[in-house]
Amino acid sequence: MGSAARLQGATKRFGAVWALEGVDFELAPGEIHGLLGENGAGKTTLARVVAGLLTPEAGRVEIGGREVRLGSAAEARALGVAMVHQHFSLVPRFTGFENVVLFNAEAWTPHGGVRAGYRERIEARAAELGLPVELDVPVERMGVADRQRIEILKALMGETRVLLLDEPTAVLAPQEVEGLFAVLRRVAAAGTGIVLVAHKLDEVLAAADRVTVLRRGRWVLTREAAAVTARELADAMVGARSPGSGPRDAAGAGPRLEGAAGAGPSDDEQRRPPRHTPEPPIVAELRDVAAVSAGGAGLRGVSLAVRRGEILGIAGVGGNGQRTLAAVLAGLQAPDEGNAALPDEVGWIPQERDGEGLVNGFTIAENVALAVHVKGAYRKGVWFDWAAVEEAAAVLVGQMDVRSGAPGVAAGTLSGGNQQKMVAGREFLRSGELLVAESPTRGLDVKATVAVRERIRALAREGGRRPGIVLISADLDEILEQSDRIAVMVRGRLIPVPPEDHNPAAIGELMLAVRG
Amino acid sequence: MSDLAVLSSFLISAVGLAVPLALAALGETVSQRAGVINIGLEGSVIWGALGGALGSLAAGGYAGLLAGGLAGAAVALVFAVFAVRLNTDQIITGTAVTIGSLGFTGALYQSRFGVTGVALELETLPAWDLPLLSRVPVIGPSLFDQELTAYIVYVMVPLLAWFLFRTRWGLALRAAGESPEAAHAAGVPVVRTRMLAAVFAGLMAGLAGAHLSLVHTGTFAENMSAGKGFIAIAVVVLGRWRPAGVLAAALFFGGAEALQFTLQAIDADLPYPLFLALPYVLSLAALAGWFGRSRAPEGLALPWPRRGH
Repeated sequence: MGSAARLQGATKRFGAVWALEGVDFELAPGEIHGLLGENGAGKTTLARVVAGLLTPEAGRVEIGGREVRLGSAAEARALGVAMVHQHFSLVPRFTGFENVVLFNAEAWTPHGGVRAGYRERIEARAAELGLPVELDVPVERMGVADRQRIEILKALMGETRVLLLDEPTAVLAPQEVEGLFAVLRRVAAAGTGIVLVAHKLDEVLAAADRVTVLRRGRWVLTREAAAVTARELADAMVGARSPGSGPRDAAGAGPRLEGAAGAGPSDDEQRRPPRHTPEPPIVAELRDVAAVSAGGAGLRGVSLAVRRGEILGIAGVGGNGQRTLAAVLAGLQAPDEGNAALPDEVGWIPQERDGEGLVNGFTIAENVALAVHVKGAYRKGVWFDWAAVEEAAAVLVGQMDVRSGAPGVAAGTLSGGNQQKMVAGREFLRSGELLVAESPTRGLDVKATVAVRERIRALAREGGRRPGIVLISADLDEILEQSDRIAVMVRGRLIPVPPEDHNPAAIGELMLAVRG
Repeated sequence: MSDLAVLSSFLISAVGLAVPLALAALGETVSQRAGVINIGLEGSVIWGALGGALGSLAAGGYAGLLAGGLAGAAVALVFAVFAVRLNTDQIITGTAVTIGSLGFTGALYQSRFGVTGVALELETLPAWDLPLLSRVPVIGPSLFDQELTAYIVYVMVPLLAWFLFRTRWGLALRAAGESPEAAHAAGVPVVRTRMLAAVFAGLMAGLAGAHLSLVHTGTFAENMSAGKGFIAIAVVVLGRWRPAGVLAAALFFGGAEALQFTLQAIDADLPYPLFLALPYVLSLAALAGWFGRSRAPEGLALPWPRRGH
């Protein structure tokens, strides 16, 4: 049996950063191959090189035994390579149907019309793969999971030899992840080789037949998933900085890779017992707030109160109004109905770091100054104290481990995960009484995830500031691990979860309860 | 003049004034659907007018029309090489092309025909009188006793609507304008698509310019495009980026312009220049969404590939 895809000596550089350095990779037909690594390790770059979406400086790509021209997406596609992107490559205003036919040349007659019966073929394929999709709704009005199904369906309409998925589980509820894996197993059983880029070790181990780990653009190991433990993989991902001597936050909390790796959370010793002091003051409150949203669900009758030093976790499948809730809490959108009592300054870690979180063309120092100068710091009379700003930026880069970052580096040149680390670190610096964190660890690797989570906890629990924190995340582990109280967003409504239901099964059910 | 005669002559004038706007705006619709806002349209119009004049002198009216179209396309190709291929800012590039074109055409005209101000006399295109249809009372003569340029508009409206919304090429072109990343991932050659769309807009704007010199006036004058290219961009907005809407909007603009002539002709005691302003007010209203939601293509005027990545 030949290989579905083979990559030899792939080398790709972005500016001064080696994203891939002489990486070999082989994908067998019918296997699910997990691709692991920290942020900036080169996982996405590798997938994009195979798909022909990036041209490597050196290397050789074979699909089904035939060499393809490097950087030719068209050639790769013709040989049956399809990619499901982290930020989906769908045209938002097109319907599901239009997006599927746009991608599939065989949908068309030579005269440019849609082939008779192609719609039925799409419906049949969706049923066969177990992918319920809405074909006549513009994609921009769909939730994230629906969009992902369209994205997968459009990739699988033709003969697909290689399917590449970039962080497909990051936006899904646990039950939906299971559904996705069931689809992937069906696809693999039909002979398609699947590359699953992911950062959750336990998920990869559950779904994959083989696992490859990359570190800083280099190949580290490839193993049978059955023959490797989460611990070994975590070690391989972080390299010399093994978990035993690994990350510690300012509070000196122990390493937490096990928790993130799914080997059982060790929360108990971390979480403080309930305080018996009088209740701290409310720092932000929404009462019966309704708000519309251009894209997904808006808000309907949402009430919540956040107290000083408390972490309120908002779980939910992406696209159920979380973005609108964050916008209202951050003061970016006024409620259409109801009242919002918010502090003057609100820290905000947005989901779209690109554009919302930072200005790509600004340097890291400038981005830091942009967010914190209002409180009067970094000033020398009427002038900006750039030296102080750069110092703060340098500290931030070090603290958050922003790879290839320096105060003078343009934010746009950082990888997605490193941008996320930078934005999170900057918002931790702010002095507001409320911090809104939207998927603060989305797309981060194990080590960075641990660091950000511990910073959030430390911020709420320790020191003089202790802001109230609203943590919005589709990652249920994160919500359960971090939150004092939990609520679930479903179709624009906020449902409080009683403490006895703080477990994945109960919350997962709530997340999906009102759907369909 | 009888009321009907006034109405009929108003309509003839309105359609005549609408034709160049419709030609340029239909081209611009395709270009904007592909994500390219071609502010250099005005440049294509003035080159089209001069190309039409020179072509007509050399080989007759229809050769002039062809030369005008090609001249407009050539200017748009220059624009597209910079704004699409080299990814320069579309607005700045288009503005430069327009200003440069007004200067170059003026200089070329003066060097060829002198600065004496003797008006150039060009053979104008003949009107084609469609049998029966042109006999329809009131609207017949205005719609069906027109020059070739008007008939090009009539053919282009359904053709472009079919192309944009019923074919894979139209879908790909619109995808390039909505979300070039997604289009690229779907295998659409975004740069080539955008180049072709921009050049098509130039071709149509060139025909609009040739209409000005070969149909409307029978001469060439410096700056004779008189903002038609810019008005066409407003027409695209008011027509909501759809060929039929664009035709209606062009007729509306043409009608407003014709109205001021008609009002002058019948000595009406109205501040007629106001009618010239009305279409622009409506264009702003259309942009603000007063006539229902209509959004410009999401990727309009945005560089591709994105800068800084």
